[in-house]
Amino acid sequence: MTSEATATVETALAARAVDVTKVYGKGETAVRAVDGISVGFASQHLTAVMGPSGSGKSTLLHCLAGLDRITSGEIWIGDIALSGLSERQLTLLRRKHIGFVFQAYNLLPTLTAAENIDLPLSIAGRKPDQAWYDRVIDAVGLRARLRHRPAEMSGGEQQRVAGARALVGKPTVIFADEPTGNLDSRSSAELLGFMRRSVDEFGQTIVMVTHDPNAAAFADRVIFLADGRIVDEMIEPTAERVLDRMKSVGA
Amino acid sequence: MWKVVIRGLLSHKLRLSLTALSIVLGVGFVVGTYVLTDTIERTFSDLFTQTTKGIDVAVRTKATFNNQGNEQRAPLPATVLDKVKDVPGVQVAEGTVTTNGHAQFVAKDGKPITTGGAPTLGVSVHKSPQLQVVTIRQGKLPDGSDEVAMDAHTAEAHGFVVGDRVKILLQGPPQEFRITGIVGLGSADNVAGATLAAFDQETAQTVLNRKDSYDQLDTVAAPGVTPEQLRDRVAAAVGPDYQTLTGKELAEETAKAVGQFTKFINYALLVFAFVALFVGSFIIVNTFSIILAQRTRELAMLRCVGASRRQVLGSVLGEALIIGLVAAIIGLGVGLLIAVGLRAAFSLFGADLPTTTMVVKPRTIIVGLVVGVVVTLLASFMPALRAVRVPPVSALQERTVTVRSQAGWLRTSIGALATAAGVGLLLLGLFAHINSRVLYVGVGAAVILLGVGILSPLMARPIARLLGWPLARWAGEPGRIARDNAMRSPRRTASTAAALMIGLTLISTVTIFAASIKASVTKTLDESVAADYILTPSSNTSQGFSPEVATRLANQDKIASATGIRLGIAKINGVDQQLFGVDPNAYDDTVRSVIAAGRLTDLASGGIAVRENVADQHRWHVGDAVTLDFPVGGAVKVPIKAIYKDNQLNGPILLALADYQRHYADQLDVIALVKAKSGVSAADSRAAVERVVADFPNVQIKDQAQYKEEQFTQINRTLIFFYLLLALSVIIAFIGIVNTLALSVMERIRELGLLRALGMTKSQVQAMIRWEAVIIAVLGALLGLVVGTFFGWTLVRALHGVGITTFSLPVGSLLVFVVLAAIAGVLAAIFPGIRAAHIDILRAITTE
Repeated sequence: MTSEATATVETALAARAVDVTKVYGKGETAVRAVDGISVGFASQHLTAVMGPSGSGKSTLLHCLAGLDRITSGEIWIGDIALSGLSERQLTLLRRKHIGFVFQAYNLLPTLTAAENIDLPLSIAGRKPDQAWYDRVIDAVGLRARLRHRPAEMSGGEQQRVAGARALVGKPTVIFADEPTGNLDSRSSAELLGFMRRSVDEFGQTIVMVTHDPNAAAFADRVIFLADGRIVDEMIEPTAERVLDRMKSVGA
Repeated sequence: MWKVVIRGLLSHKLRLSLTALSIVLGVGFVVGTYVLTDTIERTFSDLFTQTTKGIDVAVRTKATFNNQGNEQRAPLPATVLDKVKDVPGVQVAEGTVTTNGHAQFVAKDGKPITTGGAPTLGVSVHKSPQLQVVTIRQGKLPDGSDEVAMDAHTAEAHGFVVGDRVKILLQGPPQEFRITGIVGLGSADNVAGATLAAFDQETAQTVLNRKDSYDQLDTVAAPGVTPEQLRDRVAAAVGPDYQTLTGKELAEETAKAVGQFTKFINYALLVFAFVALFVGSFIIVNTFSIILAQRTRELAMLRCVGASRRQVLGSVLGEALIIGLVAAIIGLGVGLLIAVGLRAAFSLFGADLPTTTMVVKPRTIIVGLVVGVVVTLLASFMPALRAVRVPPVSALQERTVTVRSQAGWLRTSIGALATAAGVGLLLLGLFAHINSRVLYVGVGAAVILLGVGILSPLMARPIARLLGWPLARWAGEPGRIARDNAMRSPRRTASTAAALMIGLTLISTVTIFAASIKASVTKTLDESVAADYILTPSSNTSQGFSPEVATRLANQDKIASATGIRLGIAKINGVDQQLFGVDPNAYDDTVRSVIAAGRLTDLASGGIAVRENVADQHRWHVGDAVTLDFPVGGAVKVPIKAIYKDNQLNGPILLALADYQRHYADQLDVIALVKAKSGVSAADSRAAVERVVADFPNVQIKDQAQYKEEQFTQINRTLIFFYLLLALSVIIAFIGIVNTLALSVMERIRELGLLRALGMTKSQVQAMIRWEAVIIAVLGALLGLVVGTFFGWTLVRALHGVGITTFSLPVGSLLVFVVLAAIAGVLAAIFPGIRAAHIDILRAITTE
């Protein structure tokens, strides 16, 4: 593989926002949750989005993931522009190109861990790639728990199942919304380590919203939001530097 | 606390309105039933006030039989009139003839004029103007042996005017009369739907088979004599064999007789109304359980801030009270509509009920309100008790615990016990010789349904797993999740299904019963009818046709034998017993009976033949003389000439025709059996029968196949009538499925959001809800079919004695019910499915 080809892969954007605005409400009460953001998320990178409460970081994530419609601008997932898509096309896009890890309530209580992991593929009527599936399961370290139901697992295990579920369909990009928000520090570290490996070893792309500097430290790059705008970014972050920057941003 | 109650109600408007709807319909059915029967009663009592208004004192024989308002009275001899005339204070005394079903007009096209269930009356007009009941609209009253007056309704409907000639079917040969008058009753054009043929007194006595006798004597008191005084004098003169009453008493008595009939309708309909309420109560239990489970934290919070258990219980029951009350009030209005609907159902069945303004008595309103409130309160009591057991600490815990009841031994034993007790009561009611058997059967059936309902959560999981298997296999992920959802709270799935089970139990019971009757009819016809032709009245509400038909047929040279069968009731040891009057020789020719003892032909010299089980019950043997109490002639000892084996056609008792003629005032054949001479072709014999019947347009000729066909048609019509009455229960159960699914959707909103985020399309979400609904509906249908098959089987076994000899399982129909249930499930899922598909994904996954 030539160095040029490697460069192309590295700079290819898995997801991209171009001058995106999201306004809630109308007139006097209108709130510009996202206010003219343009940002690209490189493939095979773990990007953290940070900012104080109300900075618009979750809204940006929801818009990027096609869960929420934007007011103006354009969003691209790979080379697909979201603005022209119907509700059904968006659903199919999520199915194929997007993986999710939410803060809580990530799993269906009636399904076992294995069934939960299979869920997006089953919905799409696809079969998992067995070799890939095995790699993911081993990476997440849950092989022994596959037959258990969510109620029988710890919060950390549940989030790892959610992570495996996001990974198993080989999406273009995985969006994680405060994935460690409900976890203790050890479980958080386990989950983040798994996410890091997904990027490094499996070549996945992850965009993660968090307000935990320790979580952000696992990222390749951190984007800081305030009042719906990007105010700063940091490459190769450490927890201390993130914390300092957060203080200056006014979190 | 009331503020909490009201707020709670307002925040659950939708789910509660669906719950309330089940009560609205149930109460509506109850109210509709009362309104309908009260209206019928009022119509008749108005009518009788009109028909008795000129009478001061009336004399008639005592009623021998009184079956659901169908009184049978013997005529009184003309000699009694002479005695009455001599009583001092009697100004006018007249004998009248009033018969029911024995004077049927023939329309200009040659077809008999039928009514929708009302009688075809043949009466005499009074001579004296004081007693005159009919009001002349045109022409004059009949006076002569070929004159008749016709009611205005019939005249108008069939285009008859004064001066027309009209053929009338009578007990004897049909006769033609000249219409001299068109009459009404006051402002009414006819007598509650009946047709009226009025003759002068002598003619009436002749053509209506009242030679030297009358049905009733009407008198007018001389000035200064009160009806009561006159009544006592007349009573003293005629003696205790006769009933003497004032005009007012007569109106009341007659109305009371009709009241018994309407009471019967009332009870029959109320049974269906209470089935509907029973189904509705399942839905209330379910809704309250789900809503309260969802509100566990809220209730615990109330307890945290100091509400006592009693207060929490009060608030929950308060909600139930308000729902019940509001629903009952709406139900009162709906009841009026249902009354109209019930009347339509009756007319479909061939029984037009008289139409007048709806009668809404205060009693109806009170019963409706009480029933609505009490049922709602009772049904909400169990869920409410469960709710108050919530410990206050639940408010502080992370999430509400999902109710996953592992049905314990307590449920199993209570359910099994209830089912067993219900089966016991049912069998007792069906097979034991006890009083109020119907009550045992009804309570037994209800208790069985309750028991199976209690047990159903145990079965819900495995059955749902089984039913869901093909879905999980072939309907993709939505099918698989639907199965899991149906299995996750068995109690909810089961109680939703149980509501449908009740309706389907009864539907399959009546279907099986009807199929068994058909099978029995077929068997009876095949085995025991040797006749080539079966003659029946052309209208199924007709009382019968002239015996002249059988007499003339018997004289035809191509006919071997013909016998009419007449229906009568006699009392044996005080109990009404149906019997058939038959010509023994002709009967023996046309019906194959298996004789256990004696000979049927011995009846020629009088006496009775008895079916074996009746004989066994009374320990009768051939040669015994037993006492039968007849309408005419009273208690008489009659010899038993033969005992025959079970055979539906024979009925329990056969009475020699000669005896029948002596003991019954009216002679009408309900059916006639005709056998052609051997060697005569079917075409020839049929032509011979048709020639005779040509004079009697109210008689239909059927061969065995046609007769069977007609019987089936009638059974099917009755079946449809039952289906209509049971439809309400099924509709309520359907609402229950919609309700449960809608509640589940709200409860699982986060899961739905997750699924949508993960790429489940709206149509997949709808499919998921749909399959869950189908599983619930089919589960309910299957439980219903199983219980219904058991009911049907026991019922058929129990009624073996009355001729339902064959049990038949209509597998095809039952399968259709399952398919229909599945379709109902699909329909029930539409609304909850749309809600589920249109949830806001973001809010679903982000809200705590």
